[in-house]
Amino acid sequence: MGPIVFDHVVKKYGNREALKGLSVTFPSGQVTALLGPNGAGKTTAVSILLGLSKATKGTVNVGEYQAGDRILRQRMGAMLQESPVADGLQVREMLNLFRGYYREPLPLDHLLVISGLEQKANRRVSSLSGGEKRRLSFALAMAGNPDIIVLDEPTTGMDVESRMRFWEVIRVYAIQGKTILFTTHYLEEADTAADHIAVIADGRLVAEGTPQSLKAAMPLRKITFRISGELISEQQLLALPGVQEVRRADDLMELFSVDTDRLLPLLLQSGIQMTDIQIHAAKLEEVFHQLTRGSAESGGSIR
Amino acid sequence: MKPFVAQSKAEILRLVRSPFFLLFSVLMPIAFYSIFAFLNGADAEIGGTTWGAYSLMSMTAFSLIGTAAGQFGIRLSYERKDGLIKLMKLTPLSTSAWIAAKITAHLLVHTLIIAVMFGYSAIVFDTELPGWRWLASGSWLIVGSIPFLALGILLGTIRNTDAATAVSNLVYMGLSILGGLWMPLSTFPNWMQKLGALLPSHAYASTSWSIVANGSAAWMDVLVLLGYGAVFLMTAVFVQSRRENA
Repeated sequence: MGPIVFDHVVKKYGNREALKGLSVTFPSGQVTALLGPNGAGKTTAVSILLGLSKATKGTVNVGEYQAGDRILRQRMGAMLQESPVADGLQVREMLNLFRGYYREPLPLDHLLVISGLEQKANRRVSSLSGGEKRRLSFALAMAGNPDIIVLDEPTTGMDVESRMRFWEVIRVYAIQGKTILFTTHYLEEADTAADHIAVIADGRLVAEGTPQSLKAAMPLRKITFRISGELISEQQLLALPGVQEVRRADDLMELFSVDTDRLLPLLLQSGIQMTDIQIHAAKLEEVFHQLTRGSAESGGSIR
Repeated sequence: MKPFVAQSKAEILRLVRSPFFLLFSVLMPIAFYSIFAFLNGADAEIGGTTWGAYSLMSMTAFSLIGTAAGQFGIRLSYERKDGLIKLMKLTPLSTSAWIAAKITAHLLVHTLIIAVMFGYSAIVFDTELPGWRWLASGSWLIVGSIPFLALGILLGTIRNTDAATAVSNLVYMGLSILGGLWMPLSTFPNWMQKLGALLPSHAYASTSWSIVANGSAAWMDVLVLLGYGAVFLMTAVFVQSRRENA
């Protein structure tokens, strides 16, 4: 089917620009996470990809087809943020109705298994819980056996067990070579479930790569230590060269920096009485925080 | 074609399984019909026919206006809010095929309502009409419900579901009462008669009264109702397209 390519996509709602020239490629046959803080433009990007809204400028292509092309409807399956149901129908009836839209649908039993709704097949869809409706939405997205799966915050509302099952199923589809794109707030999920992560903030791409390469490209480290003597203010620590952020919890301090080699001697010479000094590679969450914070502070550009 | 048939079937199930359907489309019209026919006397004369036949037309029209305009409109408003319309846009089924399936489902359900109402009238009140007048009035009630489906589509464009519900119920009850479906217009004050005669609900019922009484359609009313239908549909299309371009 080919990769999903966003090329300088601008989306304006009135005077507000939700996307400010987003260019990003989601490789075919991979699981990609579209990661970003609230209001970054994730859902806007997804709705243009799905043909629900039109880009003000720029293009979105899936392989040789333009986003919104009717041919893509046979090949794509999607979960929106809402979990709408056709009230009045049973789970089985709604799934069969959707299966009927596609040329080569997945078997009903398969859809019931991946959504964990085997026991609820005869229940009215309107009587399902929020989490069950979310799982039904996933089954509906998969009804046509799509090559491309687009998931907008798929696990919101699911309990821990459903969430684990969901990512296992996604793994299987990924092995089958399907292209999977999901948006998420859960950095853990992006880290563990995705082969490729695209980070967007304020309508633009700020970083992309594998979870490992993202961490390597932004070699943020942190020095943690406990203060044993006199307390010291966060301002004093921020004044040290190369310190990007300071967090404290009681006497435990965390200093973030890309150059801990230079920082550590300075810290030792500063006269602060420290115990339990450790240096860690930052977690993806912390890298992400730095990326999106930097973008917001500098009005959108990457430093 | 197969997805269209399946979609129509599903929409029929959704319609008749709704608790509002049984109450507002079947039980309430039958109850009101029974009251009006009983109180006035089913054999008593009115407008060239009997109360048993006259009120049957009124109450069947009342049921169908509620089903076509009220329930259809409220459902569409909820489907927009819940995101079902958006979800359907992602599937290979086109939006026009979906709307066509909904309209088909409604027309079949309207036929069922007419059969139930007419059957009830024939059995309980011994209403007697020439066979073709049953057929002609029933057919008219089906065809004449199409402009009210257009009104339903227009009401369905209301974004706020609470407002859609309130407005739909107000419109359907108001049209029914002011149009003379509950009490004949002749019992109203003069100015209300003039107003009522202009309403689409009156044009709808009036043609069916004319069929059961004289065996002929009230052609002016047919034209009036058609005009209303065109206005409802054009307004709905206008509202929708203005939104999509916004």
